[in-house]
Amino acid sequence: MSEYFAGIDIGSTMTKVVIMNQAMLASVIGPTGPEHRKLANRVMEEALARASLSFDDITYVVATGYGRINVPFADKQITEISCHARGVGYLLPEARTVIDIGGQDCKGIKLKDGRAVDFVMNDKCAAGTGRFLEVTAEGLGVKLDDMGRLSLTAKNVVGISSTCTVFAEREVVAKLSDGVPLPDIIAGLHEAIAARIYGMVGRLKIEREVALTGGGAKNIGLVKALEAKLGYSVLVPPEPLLTGAIGAALLGRDIVKKTAENKIPLLRSERRLQEATLFT
Amino acid sequence: MTEEKKPEERKKRKTAAEAASKIGPMVKATIGGTVQAREEGKPIAYSFICCGYDEIIRAMDIVPVWTENYAGICAVKRDAQRFLERAEAENFSRSLCTYALCGLGFDAWREELGEMPPNPPWGGQARPDMMLGSGQMLCDPRNKWYQAAQHYMPDVPVYEVGLPWTPYEDDYDYREVQDYYVKYMVEQLRGLVEFLERQTGRKMDWDRLSELVDLADRTWNLIWEAYELRRAIPTPMGTGDAMNTMVPMVFMMGTQEGYDFYKDLYDELQRKIANKEGVIPDEKYRLIWGGGLPSWFALTDFNYFNSKGAVFPVETTYRMVEAIYHFDIDLTKITDPLEHLAWRWLKYWTYWYDKSKRRPGSHPDVERLIQYIEDYKIDGIVMHEAFSCRTWHVGLIWQLNLLKKIYRDIPSLILESDIVDISSYNEADTRARIDAFIDTLEAVKSRGR
Repeated sequence: MSEYFAGIDIGSTMTKVVIMNQAMLASVIGPTGPEHRKLANRVMEEALARASLSFDDITYVVATGYGRINVPFADKQITEISCHARGVGYLLPEARTVIDIGGQDCKGIKLKDGRAVDFVMNDKCAAGTGRFLEVTAEGLGVKLDDMGRLSLTAKNVVGISSTCTVFAEREVVAKLSDGVPLPDIIAGLHEAIAARIYGMVGRLKIEREVALTGGGAKNIGLVKALEAKLGYSVLVPPEPLLTGAIGAALLGRDIVKKTAENKIPLLRSERRLQEATLFT
Repeated sequence: MTEEKKPEERKKRKTAAEAASKIGPMVKATIGGTVQAREEGKPIAYSFICCGYDEIIRAMDIVPVWTENYAGICAVKRDAQRFLERAEAENFSRSLCTYALCGLGFDAWREELGEMPPNPPWGGQARPDMMLGSGQMLCDPRNKWYQAAQHYMPDVPVYEVGLPWTPYEDDYDYREVQDYYVKYMVEQLRGLVEFLERQTGRKMDWDRLSELVDLADRTWNLIWEAYELRRAIPTPMGTGDAMNTMVPMVFMMGTQEGYDFYKDLYDELQRKIANKEGVIPDEKYRLIWGGGLPSWFALTDFNYFNSKGAVFPVETTYRMVEAIYHFDIDLTKITDPLEHLAWRWLKYWTYWYDKSKRRPGSHPDVERLIQYIEDYKIDGIVMHEAFSCRTWHVGLIWQLNLLKKIYRDIPSLILESDIVDISSYNEADTRARIDAFIDTLEAVKSRGR
């Protein structure tokens, strides 16, 4: 009989669920906005429907992400660092360094044999995270998804000196008023955020290959800016938002395997999908 | 209004060592004692910890008010913000040392009112008769804080004591110039004695000073011996407790009370080791607090580490580098107490120089970390970058990188916050980092199995 594993990654802006056995069977990415925060169970239900499985079919569920602690239907909670490391180790085994650009934090992870051996994290300042781009996109009146593409058409990239997200928004609006073309401003924003991320992750000795994950990895302009800082190309998984959830499911699979090998009982939560309790 | 703000006081941190649990009442009594001393007209001096002149103050019966300590207490009580805000309103930048800002905010407020600010933590910071700066390479507010405090207390004199030490260079022996440094420091200390004599109208009792210097030496050695006991597995005391037991080390040197405290601590740790009683029953990870002052308002984070199976048998913050009897100079032969203080000071700060030179590319601060990692069988390093403390915290990342380059890769965690300013702290994020660090330690240990 097949065993199925679920990984659920509740990030600050997106909730991601994957269901795996030997390969990924289904995945769902949903927003973690104020209306959706409690509803990780619904995202899970949708993933189960896509995989044509019931929740009882799932052998083990691992939750990760900042909202992991209060997912009542998870069998175990594991940190994002471990899950991202495991996910990247699986998807891009040649990677030695992971840069994860999330909605409200940014992480650098050093890998050895597919496991995290060191990490750095920025959770203090929105600059260097997806939030920086969200805020400035709003100020510029541009869709977040369009920023990467637009920045590639820049002719004269302008420097953005404000490192504070709030002031950067003001600065870009002022530049827009001065008639600076939009692509040049957006490319400047990408350079600013790339410099900040590079500075932080540089605390680890960055080793090739570098994998880029999280929502930031979907922004081609930011990817290019980071590659320019690093001086070489980075690896991006097919769906960078899912890396943590994939890692969570794989770690769940590891746990099940280990408990079976050691003949110890597998502790599991009740198989009942409930709303997340973190935000009640 | 700031005056009406109620502090968000934390519940008491759980200590493992009985000695550590005595510290709160001791500090409270000391601070209360300074307020009472003020009422009784005893001479009071604002002073810095690790100042090098503790015994001089004690020998002249001057009551020290440890201003860094008071700011730390405000932080522990989670009641520092109103004093920081007051300092900010006085136009001091929030990015300055928050010990100094807290103290300056308190002083400005107290001087304006002519009495203690409302509900001051543990009775408040008593108005001094003099302020003793400790100008040295340790930190810049030691030069500037009390000068700034004179804005509010222009009648209170400041005396600056300069106690430098020879800088580290790997291509020369500091002993070539150490005599000049000692000579300079002795003159500085002599000037301090003369200043104190003028301020108090008392004469220094040199025999008493010698006795107190000897008592401080013995206390010093006892501290070192007690702390070395923490090498035991399981360790009988962690850094969380050491952030309490440091109090007599930095506030009570040259007092019998300080000596007795460490005698009790030594006995307690011996007893715990004999009973195999550790900070936690199942010690999984041994960590070093590798630098930086702690967030005084978040000492419960050490308990959080403990809850994950991690202990801190050693730290570089608030710790004697070595027993005095292991220095390369026999201090017992130096009979002049001021010269004795100067040599002790110099040997303390230069202790790791020779060891560092033996490892190519090393540095004394890094060498110390390496030695502790080996002696205490350490699995990972935790450092704290406090944004407002430049001197202590600038260079921590560099040390970490150098350590990994010349020694070995070792899991590390950098916590980011402050010593006093709680607005820099987020418990959930901090603990998420600790969780991730524990995962990393486990992954590294698993690879080695």
